[in-house]
Amino acid sequence: MQWDNAVSNEEKPNEKARAIRARQRAIGRELRRMYDDVAQEPVPDDFLDLLRKIDDAEDARTGKKVS
Amino acid sequence: MVGSSPMRQHVESGHKDDGDGDFKSELLALIPFLRAFARSLTGNQEGADDLAQETLVKAWQSRATFIPGTNLKAWLFTILRNQFYSDRRRAWRQAPWDQDAAERIPGGGEDQIFSAQLSDTARALRVLSDEQREALILVGAGGFSYEDAAAICKCAVGTVKSRVARARKALIEILDGDDTLEGVQRPAEGDAAREIMAQLDRLAPPGTGDTGGKRRPK
Repeated sequence: MQWDNAVSNEEKPNEKARAIRARQRAIGRELRRMYDDVAQEPVPDDFLDLLRKIDDAEDARTGKKVS
Repeated sequence: MVGSSPMRQHVESGHKDDGDGDFKSELLALIPFLRAFARSLTGNQEGADDLAQETLVKAWQSRATFIPGTNLKAWLFTILRNQFYSDRRRAWRQAPWDQDAAERIPGGGEDQIFSAQLSDTARALRVLSDEQREALILVGAGGFSYEDAAAICKCAVGTVKSRVARARKALIEILDGDDTLEGVQRPAEGDAAREIMAQLDRLAPPGTGDTGGKRRPK
């Protein structure tokens, strides 16, 4: 919004371009933050259970000893 | 099995054991990123985690087709993306009369509630087309090269580049224009539609509504 004011009317085109780039960067940071927030959450137990089940199923299938 | 070629079987299973163990620990390490990508596709946590788990199972079942030394993360993301679209296509087939509802699956009604708690950027992301959103997330947040993103999205590198550029431009317009966010910000329209459907359901005598029971949220 403040950006709108800054680039309105007779601002130089390169200033406008700079403002847009700054805005792009801010949005880029926000996108990465959203993504990283999820990626940094501890992995829910469901997922670990699932991998354990895969293990068990594999052991059962191959008849391998559980070590 | 036991009789035919014990030697060969022994060697094979030994090899498989090592490879599978490595594969599984790499899977484990990549779960956080699968969850993050899934969240950005579905826009809600529960649907995203279901999707990420489906992806793990699919990946495990298809592990023989993974070429060691290639990008496992990109391979997993490809599976996740395929799964996302095939789940949604299935949802469409199951509910052809209510495409809007199908589009919210996975996630159902929660999507709307959840979106009220999201940041502006997160909400603006929901307004983008699927193609633009996934390209922007992969390149802009996931750190994938345009080439890897193109492989994941099964399109040309130039296509990814232009989708990312258009997505960035659209996000600015949405965020700074404000109008476009209205629909996402306030779930008024969706609620109105659901309310109308609920009223129709109530009006219909029991047993006559063929679109009734299955779709109606509990």
